[in-house]
Amino acid sequence: MSGTDAGPWDKTPAAAPPPPPPAAIKATDFLAAQRANKRNTWVLIVILLLLGGTLGYLGGAVIETYSNSYGSRYGLVETDSYSYSGRSALTTLSLFGVIGAGALISIGLAASGVTFAFGGRLMLGLAGAREVTAEEEPMLHNIVEEMAIAAGLPKPKIAVMETEVPNAFATGMDPQNAAIGVTRGLLTKLNRDELQGVIGHEMGHILNMDTRYMTAVAILVGLIALVCDMARRMMWYGGVAGGGRRRDREEKGGGNIILLVIFIAFAILAPIAAQLVRFAVSRQREYLADATSVRLTRNPVGLIGALEKLAAEQRPFDGANRATQHMFIVNPFKVFGANSTALFSTHPPLEQRIQRLQNLGIL
Amino acid sequence: MAWLIGLGVLVVIALIVIMLYNRLVATRNQTNNAWKQIDVQLKRRHDLIPNLVEVVKDYMSYEQETLRQVIEARNQAVKATSPAAAMQAENALSGAMGKLFAVMEAYPDLKANQNVSRLMEELTGTENKISFARQFYNDSVMSLNNMVQSFPSNMIAGMFSFQPGTYFEVPEAETAVPKVDLR
Repeated sequence: MSGTDAGPWDKTPAAAPPPPPPAAIKATDFLAAQRANKRNTWVLIVILLLLGGTLGYLGGAVIETYSNSYGSRYGLVETDSYSYSGRSALTTLSLFGVIGAGALISIGLAASGVTFAFGGRLMLGLAGAREVTAEEEPMLHNIVEEMAIAAGLPKPKIAVMETEVPNAFATGMDPQNAAIGVTRGLLTKLNRDELQGVIGHEMGHILNMDTRYMTAVAILVGLIALVCDMARRMMWYGGVAGGGRRRDREEKGGGNIILLVIFIAFAILAPIAAQLVRFAVSRQREYLADATSVRLTRNPVGLIGALEKLAAEQRPFDGANRATQHMFIVNPFKVFGANSTALFSTHPPLEQRIQRLQNLGIL
Repeated sequence: MAWLIGLGVLVVIALIVIMLYNRLVATRNQTNNAWKQIDVQLKRRHDLIPNLVEVVKDYMSYEQETLRQVIEARNQAVKATSPAAAMQAENALSGAMGKLFAVMEAYPDLKANQNVSRLMEELTGTENKISFARQFYNDSVMSLNNMVQSFPSNMIAGMFSFQPGTYFEVPEAETAVPKVDLR
């Protein structure tokens, strides 16, 4: 800061005292909520990476054990120098296992890192939304611009879907190329404050780069599923083919079987676990966007009212399907019970979202 | 071997210092920019008000005084040169606008007028944008102050004399609910 340029803090003379304490205490509420959500997301990502790492390790260990036993059988490997067996792969570190774990984690990190670093193109056509100008929808444009200012982001593109079901979504890999879509029903059924809460939620998704985030998570989950699928096929054919011969193997075969069983069980369970983590991440990001909306509007009442109205009128509509359901502020597909499908839902139950918003307090 | 480790530690420290310094610069620039954004929105308000007054003055013949106050406050705000005077004039204008909005509620045919409702939306939006721009400025000041005052970035801030920002504070007059005289 050079002396000639009058900074903002130079403009209020003698107004040096720090911020009023009550405002600061209130402010920590949604900021703390944001921090907690971000931390939860990272815990989930680490779980996902650990899943991938374990998978890689087990796969490597199995490959090593088998290559050794086949190698020694056909005289390809000197049996003396390789004392690994399936059992030892479980108790001591397997070199192939470490390589496998490292490879899977680094491929996963690289693939999702690439997604995160280089955004992507807009997916506005996805939900059948049409871009609208400021002349057509002045209020919507104003509200979006207000929220963009509050978030310190460029104004995103704005689109409308012609359906009476009130809902909204945000998309775009980075804030510079983002778009917000709302349905006609949202515009007609909500008042200005409620609309602002919804747009704040969508702006929160853009600010927190959730599209990119979820794409990166989807890539990790997809990678785990792919590897498990490959492993299951390999085990199936390899296991059936090699089953007859395995009988006459020496006692270390017992360790192989244990390792194999663990690996197969893992190959079956890991993709399901990965999906569960993905949904959990998605739910955390919804909570995070709710907290961000309150940070932007400083008015939880608008968003609470909007969520209540949206919940009452939700039903599937054109443009909403299983592939796009996670993008919307309220899942267009009715969730049956509050908890029966909670683990597999992309959005937290509305009652809990509203409850958390109420906990933020009236600001 | 020992000096290699020492060198490594030094490199890491240097990298951390560079990173913290760059973040401080970015936060300070964001704060300055946020302040400029408030001006952008205030300018827009100045441009919109004459239009609104022009459209509503035929409907609101009994409210000439209110309209005159709005125009006067607006002209004061445009004329203001020093930042302190500008802030005072803008606050007076906010008060006058709030009063006008409240009075306009009493004229149903005003709200039915397409032009008026359009202008009203524009002005409501602009008023909101002004307060959101101020809010973003205050958010930026908070992150700047957090960096300037918390460890370890406060060491870097001290070294390169980064100053904490000053919050934009709403004056008493504006927090008070405007008194509406409906006659």
